Amino acid sequence: MSFSLTQILLFIVVYLSGLFAVAYLADRGIIPERISRHPATYVLSLGVFAGALATNGVIELAYRYGYNFLLYYIGVVAMFVMATVLLLPLLRLCRVYQLSSLADVLSFRFRSSWVGAATTLAMCITLLPLLALQIQAVADSIHILAGETIGPSSSGERQDRLALLFCIIITVFSILFGTRHVSTQDRNNGLVTAIAFESLVKLAAMFVLMLAAIFAVFGGIAEMDQWLLQNAELHRALERPMQGDSARALLLVFFAGAVCMPHLFHMAFAENTDSGHLRKATWGLPTYLLLLSLPILPITWAGIKLGHDLPMDYSGLAMGSALHSFPVSAAAFVAGLSAASATIIITTLALANMCINHLVLPSRLLKIDREQSIYKQLKWLRRFVISILILAGYTFFITLSGKQSLTQLGLVAFTGTLQFLPGLIATPYWPKANRKGLLAGLCGGLLTWLFGMLLPPTTGYQPLILLQIQNSLLPDSGSLWTTVAMASLTFNAGLLILVSLLTRTRADEKIAAEICSMDDLARPIRQSLSLRNAQQFSASLAPALGEKTARSEVQRALLELRFSEQENRPYALRRLRARLEANLSGLLGPAVAHGIIERCIPFLPGAHGETEDIHLIERNLDRANYQLTGLAADLDNLRRHHRETLDKLPIGICSVGADGEMLMWNRSMAQITGIQPSAVLGSLLTSLPQPWDGIIGDFLRGAADTLLKTEVANDDGAARWISLHRTTAEENAGSTSADTIILVEDITEFELLEEELLHNERLASIGRLAAGVAHEIGNPVTGIACLAQNLEYEEDPEEIHYMARDILKQTDRVTRIVESLVNFSHLGSGAGETRLTPSNLADCIDEAVHLLTLDQAAKPVQFSNECDRELVVLADSQRLLQVFINLLGNARDACDEFGHVRVYATTDEQLVNIVLEDNGCGIPPQLHSQVFEPFYTTKDPGEGTGLGLALVFSIMGDMNGSVQLTSPVADGPNPGTRFTLQLPLGSYGSTFDM
Amino acid sequence: MYINRALLLVVGVVLIFFPVIEGWAVSSETAWYRPYLLWLLVIVAAYWNQRTRYPDEL
Repeated sequence: MSFSLTQILLFIVVYLSGLFAVAYLADRGIIPERISRHPATYVLSLGVFAGALATNGVIELAYRYGYNFLLYYIGVVAMFVMATVLLLPLLRLCRVYQLSSLADVLSFRFRSSWVGAATTLAMCITLLPLLALQIQAVADSIHILAGETIGPSSSGERQDRLALLFCIIITVFSILFGTRHVSTQDRNNGLVTAIAFESLVKLAAMFVLMLAAIFAVFGGIAEMDQWLLQNAELHRALERPMQGDSARALLLVFFAGAVCMPHLFHMAFAENTDSGHLRKATWGLPTYLLLLSLPILPITWAGIKLGHDLPMDYSGLAMGSALHSFPVSAAAFVAGLSAASATIIITTLALANMCINHLVLPSRLLKIDREQSIYKQLKWLRRFVISILILAGYTFFITLSGKQSLTQLGLVAFTGTLQFLPGLIATPYWPKANRKGLLAGLCGGLLTWLFGMLLPPTTGYQPLILLQIQNSLLPDSGSLWTTVAMASLTFNAGLLILVSLLTRTRADEKIAAEICSMDDLARPIRQSLSLRNAQQFSASLAPALGEKTARSEVQRALLELRFSEQENRPYALRRLRARLEANLSGLLGPAVAHGIIERCIPFLPGAHGETEDIHLIERNLDRANYQLTGLAADLDNLRRHHRETLDKLPIGICSVGADGEMLMWNRSMAQITGIQPSAVLGSLLTSLPQPWDGIIGDFLRGAADTLLKTEVANDDGAARWISLHRTTAEENAGSTSADTIILVEDITEFELLEEELLHNERLASIGRLAAGVAHEIGNPVTGIACLAQNLEYEEDPEEIHYMARDILKQTDRVTRIVESLVNFSHLGSGAGETRLTPSNLADCIDEAVHLLTLDQAAKPVQFSNECDRELVVLADSQRLLQVFINLLGNARDACDEFGHVRVYATTDEQLVNIVLEDNGCGIPPQLHSQVFEPFYTTKDPGEGTGLGLALVFSIMGDMNGSVQLTSPVADGPNPGTRFTLQLPLGSYGSTFDM
Repeated sequence: MYINRALLLVVGVVLIFFPVIEGWAVSSETAWYRPYLLWLLVIVAAYWNQRTRYPDEL
């Protein structure tokens, strides 16, 4: 049965329109995302690998080489089953750095636009046979359906015209499909869904053919088995062994094709949104290919049984013709058409991206108009390149004049792309490989392939190795094809290794190699940027991209990173820079993107730029957690344990880089400051809200490594106290800057407790003084009572006046005693607030001595105040009084009845040294370290609280002073004790608030 | 570098026993679809291998 040419072309247009409708519906969301983004859709889209070679060429392979046709599938299956070896590392690279093609990956890894250009050029040349294969398969199919036969007698001119018509139609659809999205970083939902749909159509068509072969040609499964038994030589032919080297070479070629073929690379990596989908493809794609390969043998046998005169590639069409069945003919045609159209569309789309990113843009062949949207210009450029590529494929097809079978063309193309395998393997596995080695290897391998395989059929150059492919695959023939394939690969890999070892690898290549390498965890460097906020990024990129594009790219990157436009954290800006480079890489290719970013957003040279980016390292380690095994996993667990320990410590810890970047901020720090780690990590110290910016900044700039106490005002107005300690981390080898670690301790509770203790001690002192006070007040009151009694009977006015003066004198005495007591009891009224004012030292000591002498029960020790009456210290007089009462009281207790407590002072520039010296029993040296501790006392129970000296120490610290103990001060039975207090020298008119 | 060690072991075993497996699979004395059974086994193994749910590690 035959069809008119118009019918066939109309059928093609209708089919491709249907396909486009699927893409359109998926893009518009009419086909729901749960379908278009389902892992199964992704897996089916990978079926693009099965081009016309899978629907037609493989039948010829099965006919000639039996089970060896399975090698075509097994190569791909092996690559996907072992996805962790190459596919997942590549996917990681492609996703993180927005690489969408093999040329992107290689130029990113080898940091060379030359590598990208060479890869693109080589890829275009190696894929010409593949494009010609697809065109030939469809053109031949149209030719057969139109009632012609293929072969020397057929009209070559008419076939070329049909091919041209098909090329025009497919060009239109390729442009429609390929230029809907400009950036390669966005998943093209419509395209993926349409290709997945094509894979289903292809599979359904092949199953229709299988059913037709089994039931229509043979009459059933049993009959087919019977026919096989009758034709035992056919069954035996299945196990016809291919020459060992050829089988291995074929397997290797198809294994490499799974990752080197640009159409499969594009679908597997550029259109992937979730690594889980690729993991599912490790069994999903093998399942699909198994189903697709199942019909091959029945169709081949049906072709043999029918004994048609068409090439075996077109057994499906021959079956339709022999059975006079429209569905069978249509299924055979649709299988080939869907396979070929999907391959052409995706291959030209991927190649067009590569050409634009690695040939057109870097070489400035096209001048980008900065005034217009770059996206629109890129869209037109891509349309043009797609047209050129399909035209090139058609020209190659014309040049071949239909002399080669589909299998031959397929093998030439696959062997060509095999040359990219060494470079691709070196990307994650061999950091020493460099661009010179890669280019040398590519040149060597491709030249061998060019002269050994590609040129012979196109130029007539001898020996025609291509024409001997089929013979070389046979066990009894020479293996010329194998020789050329393996020689080109060996030559390629050898040159790559040799040149890489003999030549120097540049620093940027080493960094890229480290990023790509999965053996070593990348050690990102923390470098400083000259730009201070995200808004400056747009302005800096504008000269290269145009204002509109620059603004839109920066906004998109900010959105993806969930940063605000006001972002100014150095860590965030570094991430923004990396994201922009990745996004631009998806738009313009990695080489151009890297150049633009380096030029427009450079790092500051040498400024604190050598320390490691801790955040990024931690992020990478957290993500790679499950990948770590053995010692690495142990180390990671240890890291987590230490991190958690630091995080949960009840003391605040923050770490500041030499450039002022906050590197650590634990939970306690967040509790103390009320600032969450997420808000502060990676930002500059200066961006901390007040008062923390001032407190930590001043402490870092200061000379002291410890700040015992500083007051912080809470938002609610309540005061709190913190102590700060710092240490500087040791500089690492090769590092020029070190981080500073600051410990922040909240001592508010301790301070409040201390206040309370101070109050208690004061009350205790008052209690101790109470008896003396009562006695002291009692005497003048008795005197007043006597004078009052006498006054009642006295009539002499002069005597009355005299007695009244005496009464007033006695009441003055009482008033003074009461005032002293009241003053002392008011010591703690301003809790926590130390007000340093100029205070007369001698007066203060006198007051203390006076209070102590009120205690009549105490020993009559002699106090002598030898201080200069004019000497003024800067202190809180009330607290200083407490200090003297405690110290003089202790001195008195240590002395016997003949004790003598002497107080004198000396000045030393800005300081006053006040010495309190007694001739008491002294303090043994072994107790010196304990006497200032709270609750430590040598007195009998009930006589001392053990808080006196502790409070002295605390109060002197509060007043910027110090206290020193010396004992013994003399030999003999009364060695004595000397306390030396040091306070700032004061003068009237100076006030200082703490 | 994370390569599934079980996978490496399987690849090694398959390489060692490849001649035996190939001989068994393509023998003309048996059903023509026998190689597909082996293929099915590979699919089951691949499915088993990826069952562990990983987060999107990229």
